[in-house]
Amino acid sequence: MRERIRRSLVRIGAMAGKEARHVVRDPRTLYMSLGMPVVMLFLFGYGLSFDLDHIPVAAIDQDRTAASRELIRALTVSGELEYAGEAADPAAALSGFRKGALVGAVVVDRGYARDVLAGKRVPVQLLVDGGDPNVANQVLAKADALVRAETRRLAGPDLAAQAPPVQVQVYTRYNPEGRSALFLVPGLAAYLMAITAVLLTALTVAGEWERGSMEQLFASPIGRLEIVLGKLLPYLVIGLLEFLLVVAFGMTAFDLPLRGSGLVLTLLGFTFLVGMLGQGLLVSVIAKNQTVATQAGMLSSLLPSLLLSGMIFPLENMPLPLRALSRVIPARYLVHGLRGVLLKGNGLALLWPDLLAQVLFAAAVIALATLRFRRRLA
Amino acid sequence: MTALARAAVRAAPDAPAAPPPLRPSARVQLAAVFRKEVQQTVRDRRIMFLLIVAPLIQTIVFGYAVDFEVDLVPTVVADADRTAESRGDARRLLADGTLLRAGSATAAEPAAGPAIDEGGAGAALVIPPGATRDRLSGRGERLQVVLDGSDPNRTTVTGAAASRYFGDLGERLARERLATAGRAPPAQLVLVPRVAFNPRLKTPPFMVPGIAAMLLVIVTAFTSAMGLAREREMGTLEQVLVTPIRPLLLLVGKMAPFVVIGLFDVTLLVAAGTWLFEVPIRGSLGLFYLGTALYLVSTLGMGLLISTVSASQQQAFLGAFLFTIPAVLLSGLMTPIRAMPGWLQPITWVNPIRWFAEISRGILLRGSGLAELWLPFLALAVIGVAILTSATLRFHRRIA
Repeated sequence: MRERIRRSLVRIGAMAGKEARHVVRDPRTLYMSLGMPVVMLFLFGYGLSFDLDHIPVAAIDQDRTAASRELIRALTVSGELEYAGEAADPAAALSGFRKGALVGAVVVDRGYARDVLAGKRVPVQLLVDGGDPNVANQVLAKADALVRAETRRLAGPDLAAQAPPVQVQVYTRYNPEGRSALFLVPGLAAYLMAITAVLLTALTVAGEWERGSMEQLFASPIGRLEIVLGKLLPYLVIGLLEFLLVVAFGMTAFDLPLRGSGLVLTLLGFTFLVGMLGQGLLVSVIAKNQTVATQAGMLSSLLPSLLLSGMIFPLENMPLPLRALSRVIPARYLVHGLRGVLLKGNGLALLWPDLLAQVLFAAAVIALATLRFRRRLA
Repeated sequence: MTALARAAVRAAPDAPAAPPPLRPSARVQLAAVFRKEVQQTVRDRRIMFLLIVAPLIQTIVFGYAVDFEVDLVPTVVADADRTAESRGDARRLLADGTLLRAGSATAAEPAAGPAIDEGGAGAALVIPPGATRDRLSGRGERLQVVLDGSDPNRTTVTGAAASRYFGDLGERLARERLATAGRAPPAQLVLVPRVAFNPRLKTPPFMVPGIAAMLLVIVTAFTSAMGLAREREMGTLEQVLVTPIRPLLLLVGKMAPFVVIGLFDVTLLVAAGTWLFEVPIRGSLGLFYLGTALYLVSTLGMGLLISTVSASQQQAFLGAFLFTIPAVLLSGLMTPIRAMPGWLQPITWVNPIRWFAEISRGILLRGSGLAELWLPFLALAVIGVAILTSATLRFHRRIA
C-alpha cells in the first residue's frame, strides 16, 4: 500500500516536473500570471471607485437676493457639489443632464429671502439626474447634510451654541473614511484570481490536446487522477505566489489592512485556487471546438464572477434564486473571506463555512475533470 | 469594374468584348465573404446558441442580480434606556424600510461590536441608559449608530437614514423648546428632492443597458478575434488569400454577419429590459441602432485587429481577454468615470464601451438626441475607423 502511494507520488511529481518545465520554457505564462493581475489591480484599484467629488450642480436662482446667493454658495463651497453656473429653468437643467454636463440643479424659489427672514419652513428644491442611481443617492445625501448645516447657520449663534436635544454619533467600523478602495480591492483581487486561474489551466491543457501529446501521456503508466493533480501542482504554486503578490500589492498601494491572520488568508487563497484551476481543467477537458469553449468559458466565468460574487453588487439584495446560484460561484466565498480576514480581522471561527465551500467546490471539479478524462479516451 | 467602365462598355456595343475583369466587383466580393461567414456560423448550432440565447438569459439573470439599492439593512437595536420614547424612536427609525430589525439587546455597547463582526448586522442603534431623561432635562441626548463600513455604498445610505431621522427629531424638539420659551423659531430649510428620469432610483434601468454593452463586447470581440486565427490554424486562410478578395473587403465581410447578429441581440436585450426591468425608451430607437452599429464595428474591428497579431486561437483568446476586462471595468458601466483619478480619465476616451454606455443610457433613459450625444457618436466613429484601418494595415503586412 505504502509502496503504491510512493509510486503514485513519484508519477505525480514527474507530471508536475514536466508541466513546470513547460512554464519555465514559455515564460509568457509566468509574465501573464504574475504581472497581469498586479497591473490590473493597480489600474482598477484606482479606476474603480464610487467616491465622487466635484459633482457639477447648476443653480436656478429665481430669488436673486443676497440670501439666495448665500445658500448656493453654502451648498457648493466645500467642492463636493461644484457650482457649474446658472441654469435658466428646469428645462435647461434637464438638457444639461442629457448632455452629461450636469448631475443636479438647486432651485431657489422666488421669495426665499423673505421666507427665511419670516422664520418659515422653506423648501429648497434639488433636481437630480436619476440616470445613475448611485450618483443620485450620493448627491442627495450630501445635499441633505449641507442644507441641514445651512439651517443651523441661519438659526444664529445663540441657538447654535445651545446643546441640541438629540445628538447622534455615527461610528463606522472597519472603514471609517468610507473609501471604496477598501471595499473593492479585496473583491478585485478575488476576481482577478478567479479569471487568471481558469485561464492558466484552460489554455495549457488545450495545447496538450492540440499537439497530440495527450495521447502519449495516456500511453504511459500514469493514472487519470495523477495527471490532473500533476498538472495542477505547478500552477498552484504560481497561483499562490500570484495571490500573495496581489494581496501584498493591495496592502502597499491601497493601504489595505491585514487585521486577521496571514495563515487563514493563505488557506483561503489555496483552497480557492485548487477549485478555480480545477474548473479551468474541466473546461479544457470538455472543450472540443475552441471557439465554443472560449465563449462558454467567458460567459460562465467573466461575468458571473463579477456580478454574482458580491464584489460590486451586494448579495443580500438579490432575489432568492440568484442567491442560491451565487453559492456555486467560488469567487463569492473568496470575496467574503478576504473582506473578513483583511478588513474585519475575522478568524476561522467565522470563516470556516467559506473555506469548507471552497474545499467542496475543488473536490467536485477535480472529480468531474478526472471522470471526463476517461470518456475522452474511450 | 467601375461604373464608368461599365458605361463605356454599354456605349460601344460594336467594340470587341472587353477582357473579363480580374477582380469581381466590391459588392460581389463582399457578398461572397458574407455568405461564407453566415453559413459557417449558422451551421454550428452551439455557437448560435451562445451568440443569441446565452446573452438573453444572462441579461435576465444579471438584471435581477445588479442592485445598488440599499434597503432592509439588518440592524441590531441595543436599547438600554427601555422607555416608551426610546422604543418609539427605534420603531420610527426602522419604519421607512432602509433598516430592518435583526435583533435586540438590552445591554448597550458591548452588543453592537460582535453583531457587526459576525457579519450578521449592518448597523446597530445604541441607546444608552438614561437617554430619554437627558433629552427631557435639556442636557442633550446622545445616541450612537454603529455601522459596518466594509460596503461604503451601504454605509452612506444607512448613515444618511439615521442622521436624517434624528436630525429631524432634534430640529423638532429644539423648535418646541423655543416655542415654549416664547421665542420665534428661526427659518428651517427643507430639501425637496426631485429625481428626473428614474424617480424611484432603481438600479436595473441604469445597469441593463450596461449589461447589454458588456455582453455585446464579449460576444463580438471574442468571436471575431478567434475568426481569423481559426482560419490560420486550419490552413483555410491561405485559400482565402489566393482568391482576389481585397483585405479590407475580407475584414468587412467577416464582420457584417456579426453586426447583424449583434443588432438582433440588442433588440432582444432591450425588449427584455423594457418588459422585465422597466427600462424606458425615451429617445429615438433609430439613433440607438445607429449607435449600436457603430459600437459593433469597433468591437468587431478590435477582435479582428487582435486576430491579425496572434498566431493561434489561444493567443487571440488571450488578447481579446486582455482587451475586454480593462475595457469593461474602466468604462463607467459600473462606477462613474467622474470618480476616477484625473490621469485615468483621458484613457477612457479611446474605450468604445465608454461611449456606447453614454449613448445607450442617454437615449434610453434620458431621451437624449444627436444634439446632446454628438460627441460620443463622433468618438465611436473615429475609434471604429481607426481600428478598422489598423486591422487592414496589419493584415496587409502579414500577407506581404
